[in-house]
Amino acid sequence: MTELILARRRMVVFLTLCVLLLGLLTVQARSPDRRLIGPFGTAVLTVLGPIQAGMARSAQSASDAWDRYLEIGRLRTDNARLRQQVEELSRAVSLLREDALASRRLEQLLGIRQAAPGRTVAARVIARDPARWFSTVLIDRGASAGVRRNDPVINADGVVGRVIEVTPTAARILLISDSRSAVGATIQRSRDAGVVEGKGGAALQLNYLSREAAVRVGDLVVTSGLGGVFPRGLVIGNVAQIVREEGALLQGAVIQPAAPLDRLEELLVIVGTP
Amino acid sequence: MLKGPAGRVLTYGGIFVAAALIQSAWLVRLQLWGAVFDPLLPLVVGIGIFSGSEAGAVAGISAGLLVDLLGGATLGLHGLGLMVVGFAAGLFERSIYLEDPLLPAVATFAATVAAETLVRVVVVIAHLGPVPWPAVVWEILAQGALNSALAPFAFRLVRTVEERFRKRYEEG
Repeated sequence: MTELILARRRMVVFLTLCVLLLGLLTVQARSPDRRLIGPFGTAVLTVLGPIQAGMARSAQSASDAWDRYLEIGRLRTDNARLRQQVEELSRAVSLLREDALASRRLEQLLGIRQAAPGRTVAARVIARDPARWFSTVLIDRGASAGVRRNDPVINADGVVGRVIEVTPTAARILLISDSRSAVGATIQRSRDAGVVEGKGGAALQLNYLSREAAVRVGDLVVTSGLGGVFPRGLVIGNVAQIVREEGALLQGAVIQPAAPLDRLEELLVIVGTP
Repeated sequence: MLKGPAGRVLTYGGIFVAAALIQSAWLVRLQLWGAVFDPLLPLVVGIGIFSGSEAGAVAGISAGLLVDLLGGATLGLHGLGLMVVGFAAGLFERSIYLEDPLLPAVATFAATVAAETLVRVVVVIAHLGPVPWPAVVWEILAQGALNSALAPFAFRLVRTVEERFRKRYEEG
């Protein structure tokens, strides 16, 4: 009996609440903006609204902070990627610049090649003598390309040296700046003859010039063709200084080599000389 | 500290206000599959199961009206949904095993599906807005899953409150 009364009471409460809510919903649905909160609702919102707004602001701040944190991670990734791109592009630019410079040097070399006496073989410097900077270099062409001992070697600017060692795939060049080097030379303007010898440094020495030779600073010095190694007319360098010793029968001169002997890259070996 | 019915009403009122504020300000930002955590629903279901149908219905209508008020919905919409599930939960007050660890999650999932479906039916009947049913079904199921995750905590809270008030009642 008690259970039945309780069950009926429950149903009465439930139905009453349902009717109340349905009535509330009907009123709400009939209002123009579907929401009428009344004075009680306004009072509740007046109290809870600021708290809700403050909590929403704190959530927004936390969300913004999280977004910034994620953004920092993204920026770091982007930065690393862009840095890598910059490095790759810098490497590419450097390679292109090298190619452009090599192309220019090869163009000059080609011009010389056409004017050179005899057949020529283009070669690239692959090693230098580390102990004696201005003495010998190794090139990437050897006997298999027709290079022989004592073949003269030039570049676009002038005489470089001669071949002193040959292997099938490489050859060693004795530079004209080496103290073991001697090249028959002529002052182009006055036709006075002498011998250009290396001093182991950047400059060369023109020796055995006649005391009467009218040599001047800036005169061009070319090979004389005497000695059987270098063909005549190849540029050696310019007179930088004249050396006249008191009472001496001969005079000399310091020569600035035309070829940059400390920065050689592409060379021509003249292999067709008799 | 208040004892008896007034103390219980105030305690649950405070819990509902805190839960409604947390939901409307914070949890609403954590949407998963279009659903949002709703801590009030498992609380109402828990009150219904622990205290009976009438308490569940009153808790449901209070919590629902608070949600409507703070969330900007038509007043009475969630009130009706939560009232019905609170009342229905109370019908099982004496016929279920309260210590079952799966009870909070299962009861909350079923109650969520029922309440959300009822709310949408009312929306359709009262022409309060469009209801895209296929999407809504998934949303309701997701809502059920989210609320089920909160259910163990909500039930523990309700049980703690009920035990304290029972102890005070017995002491005094």
